[in-house]
Amino acid sequence: MTEPPRPADGPAPQPGSGPTAPSATGPAPQPAEVPASPSGAEPAPRPPGDPASTPAGGPALLEVRDLRVHFPITRGTVFRRTVGHVHAVDGITLGLAAAETVGLVGESGSGKTTLGRAIVGLIRPTSGTIMFRGRALDAKDGGYRAERTQLQMVFQDPTASLDPKWRAGASIAEPLRVNHIGTRAERRQRVRELLEVVGLSPVHARRYPHELSGGQRQRVGLARALALQPAVIVADEAVSALDVSIRAQIINLLQQLQQELGLSYLFIAHDLAVVRHLSDRVAVMYLGQIVEQGAAADLYTDPRHPYTVSLLSAVPVPDPSAEARRERIILPGDPPNPASPPPGCRFHTRCWLREQLGGPERCATEEPAPRQISAGHTAACHFTGEVPGRAAGSAAGQTAGPAS
Amino acid sequence: MTAGSHARAAGDAVLRVRDLAVRFDRGHSVVHAVNGVSLELEAGGALGLVGESGSGKSVTSLAILRLLPRHTARIAGEVWFGGRDLIQLNDKDMRGLRGKEISLVPQDPMSGLNPVLTIGEQVTETIQAHENMRRGDARRRAAELLAAVGIPHPGDQLGRYPHQFSGGMRQRVLIAIALALRPTLLIADEPTTALDVTVQAQVLELLHELTVERGTAILLISHDLGIMARMTRRIAVMYGGHVVESAPTAEVFARPHHPYTVGLLRSIPRVADVGRPLTPIAGAPPDAGRLPPGCPFAPRCAWALAACWEEMPPLAPLEPALAAGGLALAAGEPALAAGEPRPGAGAHLLACHNPVVPGEAEAGGPVRPGFRPAPPPPGYGPAVEETA
Repeated sequence: MTEPPRPADGPAPQPGSGPTAPSATGPAPQPAEVPASPSGAEPAPRPPGDPASTPAGGPALLEVRDLRVHFPITRGTVFRRTVGHVHAVDGITLGLAAAETVGLVGESGSGKTTLGRAIVGLIRPTSGTIMFRGRALDAKDGGYRAERTQLQMVFQDPTASLDPKWRAGASIAEPLRVNHIGTRAERRQRVRELLEVVGLSPVHARRYPHELSGGQRQRVGLARALALQPAVIVADEAVSALDVSIRAQIINLLQQLQQELGLSYLFIAHDLAVVRHLSDRVAVMYLGQIVEQGAAADLYTDPRHPYTVSLLSAVPVPDPSAEARRERIILPGDPPNPASPPPGCRFHTRCWLREQLGGPERCATEEPAPRQISAGHTAACHFTGEVPGRAAGSAAGQTAGPAS
Repeated sequence: MTAGSHARAAGDAVLRVRDLAVRFDRGHSVVHAVNGVSLELEAGGALGLVGESGSGKSVTSLAILRLLPRHTARIAGEVWFGGRDLIQLNDKDMRGLRGKEISLVPQDPMSGLNPVLTIGEQVTETIQAHENMRRGDARRRAAELLAAVGIPHPGDQLGRYPHQFSGGMRQRVLIAIALALRPTLLIADEPTTALDVTVQAQVLELLHELTVERGTAILLISHDLGIMARMTRRIAVMYGGHVVESAPTAEVFARPHHPYTVGLLRSIPRVADVGRPLTPIAGAPPDAGRLPPGCPFAPRCAWALAACWEEMPPLAPLEPALAAGGLALAAGEPALAAGEPRPGAGAHLLACHNPVVPGEAEAGGPVRPGFRPAPPPPGYGPAVEETA
């Protein structure tokens, strides 16, 4: 990406000919529960704070609404009974525009991987909708499979996600083969093209995974994800297992591919620096819910949820003088078990702000709704105004436009 | 002068590693994991070993503890600790030292604990192995230790098993065991890699507090430069089994002189770089089973000279002109004088024929008119792969 515009203030620029311009598919239909916008001049406008819309207010390529994934906890072997549910994803609303990168951060057990898997159809949601190009993806729908090819996933560990007994070329050609695309010779040609796209050479098609380095294996995983020319790639910790110098190569490749192919990324990672580097917008998850989301620059410079504040302060930064100066908020304890999330605000058991405020009862009883801080920036905290930091309301939630 | 007398000359060093080399015999081939590493850690100090996988940092720490398999690992060099060379020590004396004077916090808290023994048994085992103490006293001591590492209700936890603890709590137990006998040296090998960000912050804080409070020196191994910046006073950068650069932490970040250090620092995303591509290091790390002659970084190095392909330069103090942050070297100028390294606490040591001069680190490459990295000589060992 070359210098995406990230102005600090001023009105949100409309990306010119990009994804938010009215497209052939037209604006996405509005689900009934979404209230109509008070100022309805545009066709099908979004309420300004609607997290499923893109910040510029246009239709999202991918829209997730109130998505829930609950896994049953069972006991017994012969007479299996459900004794509870793990609320892995519990009411997520999120939008992704064309050529946009949304970063998803959170600790283990926050549900970020489950959300990614539900979006690409690897896990069936318990409730909620996933709309792609204005159409609901439903496992019972016959058209689902065709849409499904547009949503692909890159996994964390390429050693585990590639078959050790298959040559790299066979792994890359598999999506084409199962979808009956092309003849064998055409597929072979396409594999050669894909290898080139991800910076490998045709000789690598003949290699087995163990003959490739970690970075090369992750390139093969990317080539396989690109085989069906998807619009959206869910990258689940796709660079986390790589060494620092190799990771930088793959990060650059991801950005270059986005520029060339207009891909959208849902980039799931725990590394906050990498997420900031790649993302236009960032959503922070805690115990199955999004606690804060906004433009990357806003969220990192002016976090408005106490969990985001502590997360950002906990990451060691590669700068010794900054490390010596900065104040860290060390959260007590471990994240609670998602099978029995705390009542009220899920973060209240570890919240440093609640402690500062003398432990208000409201946090323990009432679940906070997302509050709008500025355009596109929301935080689900009753006391978001009490979070110390930059004065709120100075920056509008712009994101980088499409590569121009 | 022998290296041994040199080691004893340094008064306050708790650990002094001289020319440590570790080879693994794999029958048909030899893996050169560590190739002449020298390190020094003063009492109460904090030294970081940073490098990517396969750089030899973990093998170095295991060699110091003499925990490498005896029948395949060939160890050469000296490891001076408390006036004794650990490499020459007999097994019984080494066992007496391990856990008492030098202890280890391993990376994976699950494999570091025995799953079929209670936490209490594992903490008291360490205490009773080294100190003549009754069971009841040892248990009381264990409960105190668990309290010191922030485990709630320590008395009740002694009877529980490792799987009943979270990852962060297990790592706290391992820290409690490691610090049980107030060692003078703690080796922590990627102690927080398996942990979540907020739990990592807790464990790092705990390690920092306890080591400072007790005056324990810490040798911290990590690939995470952020952790290095927070936890260490000095950093040794490893590549291909060599220490290629060693300096005070702030110095490494502010004035790196080895092309690999520069590449590492430029590979991490920073706020200032948002929207710009990173500058990765081309290619992939070498295979320790097929190490090239010369500097192992030469195939990936934009500063490579002809000499780099033939000979590994020794780790030596920075040339005065460079140390002063001054003059740029002309391309092709001879390497640094290979003096006997005297790594004082503030010394900047470098193993490079063609150091990065000020201004080049920011540029990400050599800024010298007409300079081109020297190509590999004909018949150079391993093939140089374009894409990692």
